[in-house]
This record gives sequence, structure tokens and C-alpha cells, in this order.
Amino acid sequence: MSHSTVVTSAPKENIWIGGRSPYNVSYGKMMMWFFLLSDALTFGALLISYGTTRFFSMVWPDPNEVFKAFPFMGHTSLPLLFVSLMTFILIMSSVTMVLAVHAGHYGDKKKVAYWLLWTIIGGICFLACQAWEWTHLHGELGGLWGTFTDPAIPVSKFEHFFNHNTAGKILQSEPLVAMQSTHNFFNYFFTITGFHGGHVTSGVVFNILILVNTVNGVYERRGHYEMIEKIGLYWHFVDLVWVFVFTCFYLL
Amino acid sequence: MSAHHNTDSIQHLYEGDQSKLYSGVMAHHSDIQSSESKSQVKKIWKVFWILLAITIVEVVIGMFFSYSIPVFIRNTIFLALTIFKAGYIVAIFMHLGDEFKGFIVTVLIPLFLFVWFIIAFLADGFFWLRMNNESPARQNIVNSAPAPHAK
Repeated sequence: MSHSTVVTSAPKENIWIGGRSPYNVSYGKMMMWFFLLSDALTFGALLISYGTTRFFSMVWPDPNEVFKAFPFMGHTSLPLLFVSLMTFILIMSSVTMVLAVHAGHYGDKKKVAYWLLWTIIGGICFLACQAWEWTHLHGELGGLWGTFTDPAIPVSKFEHFFNHNTAGKILQSEPLVAMQSTHNFFNYFFTITGFHGGHVTSGVVFNILILVNTVNGVYERRGHYEMIEKIGLYWHFVDLVWVFVFTCFYLL
Repeated sequence: MSAHHNTDSIQHLYEGDQSKLYSGVMAHHSDIQSSESKSQVKKIWKVFWILLAITIVEVVIGMFFSYSIPVFIRNTIFLALTIFKAGYIVAIFMHLGDEFKGFIVTVLIPLFLFVWFIIAFLADGFFWLRMNNESPARQNIVNSAPAPHAK
């Protein structure tokens, strides 16, 4: 009965009375959005705890000093350049992904496969860059997590991560405080970029799976390429997170 | 139940579930060479150039003006540009901008938790730093810590 009153009070079109999806979003797509929402909260929590630690530290490593290496360039100081390349690769792979989604809407199997292949290549290039950066830092730090915990470590081992104009005094008077910051900085760096890299890795695996399905004609028989859209959402989200990681670790 | 789900009805459901941007594609049997499709692709590339330009601006500021601009202004610029980039990715690449308003709101409202989250935690971090620096107890800890070997 209340049902009929709803209909009469809104005679035009009530999207909530059933028989259709109210937001024109399928179950799978909506759930992907909600998963990404929860994932955003996870990444947000990680980045905010990084920020909190930074806020209660007297000194903090300067990204321009930490990230200045480039493959095959030796000791030339090139701050930000390598990470810009990584950012560019990820944005580019986001574009190829959205083009694959676009082709999927038009049911163009060949173009979907073509753009997915480029997306996978972009993802692998990004992971390769990250592997290089981690290896480089591993060489410089003598480990990944949990380095700089021994008070006997001399200042000379970590002072080059700091900007001496702002942190010089603390480095001299309280080197242990600076060492603790170095320790925190790298722990957060490896945790957050590692968690993001894990997302990229699983994204590449998903992309390979849907590429195989596309080539095998699974989606053609199904009549639509919605799976590309859903994996596309995930892939763009990974790009989105990188935008924030880039800002928090390399720029601020 | 599932026996009734022939390809036609699935197709029908799928067509009903499209965002505004692509809602006409299946009904009109447009193909990827149509002008509609081409204008959509053009928009995607336009956003790519915008994202690239923003990133270049960020990197240039980071490389050359990191120390000449006051930190507060520099960080505000960086954060504003980041939000811009994020907005473009979500609205255009993830097509959230083409969904129903109700759905956009559903996705975005929970994210406002971050406003409280960020303010509360960073303020707490700042408070701790001040407390650490001004607490007499801390001075004792620093003074009694073993001196690191300089060089």
C-alpha cells in the first residue's frame, strides 16, 4: 500500500521501486568502487601515519637528497628525475587502460587487446623502475626495513640524506634524533611503496588475465566487456594512489 | 532461474547499467570509428596532457624552487596540484563524472572522513614534537644517551 503512495507522489519516474539498477551501475562495478573506497582508507591511514611521524620529528630526510640517483648516471645528482619517469609511465599506462575500456564499450576486441597489452607493458616498466630504486637504496642503506637502529652508527652514514641548511644543527648536536628520523623515513618508504607496488603487481596479473580472456573471446561471447571496466577502475586507482605517494614522499 | 538468463536479458541488463557517457553506444550500434567515439578519445588524450603538464610543473618546482619558495606556500601548491590530478583521474579516467549524481555522492562522502583524520593526526604529531622538545624529562634522556662516534 505504501508502495502505491510512493508511486503516486512521484508519478514521473521513481528509480527506487525496483526493476532497474537505481544508479545505472552494475553490482560488480559498484562493489569495485566500494572496495576501492576501503583501499583508499588503508592507503590514507598509511600516509597519514607517515605524516604524523614526520610532524613529531625535529628533522626529516630531504627527498631532494635521498632520491637523486638515476640508472647508469653514477653519482650525478638528479633529484626527482627518476621518480618523474616512473610517474610518467604510470600515467601513460592509465591512459592506455582507459582506451582499452573505451574500446570495450564499442565491442572492439582487437583494440581492447592492443591497449591492454600496452597497459601491461607500462605496469611492468613501472615495477622494473621500482625494483631498481629499491635495489639502489638497499645498496646505500645496507638493508631495507629496520636500518639505522644501532646508536653506534656514525653520523657520516646518514647525514647525506638531510639538507644541511635546515638540519645541520640537529645533525651535530643530536645525531641520534636524526638517525631515528632516517630509520622512520625508510621504514615508511618501503612499507608504503611496497604496498603500492603489490597493488601494481596484482593489477598487472589481472590485466594479463583479462587480456587472455579477451583474446580467447570470452567477453565477445558474453556480449560485453564490463570486466575490462572493473579491472580498469582498479588500475586507475593504483595510479591515483601513486599521485599521492609521489606528493608525500618526493615533493613535500 | 539461471536458465532464463539467456544472452539477450544479460545484454539488456548490461545496457541498463551504463554511465551517461556510454549509454547510447549499444542502442545506436555505434562503432569505434564514429565521431562520438573519436570525441571521447580526444577527451582522454586531453586529460593526459593536463596530467603531464601538472606533473612537469610539480617537478620543476621541486627541482628548482624547493628552497626559494616559503615551505608553507610550496606545500600548498603541491597539495592543490595533487588534488587537481586526483580529480581528473577519478572524474575522467574512472568515469565517475559520468555516473549518476547519487552515486558520485555515495562514493565521495565517506572520503570526507579524511578531513578530520588528517587534521587530528597531524595536530597530534605537532603537539608531541612540542611536548618532546619542552619536556625536562627529554633533556635527561638525550644527555644520558651514549654519544655516537662522530665520523
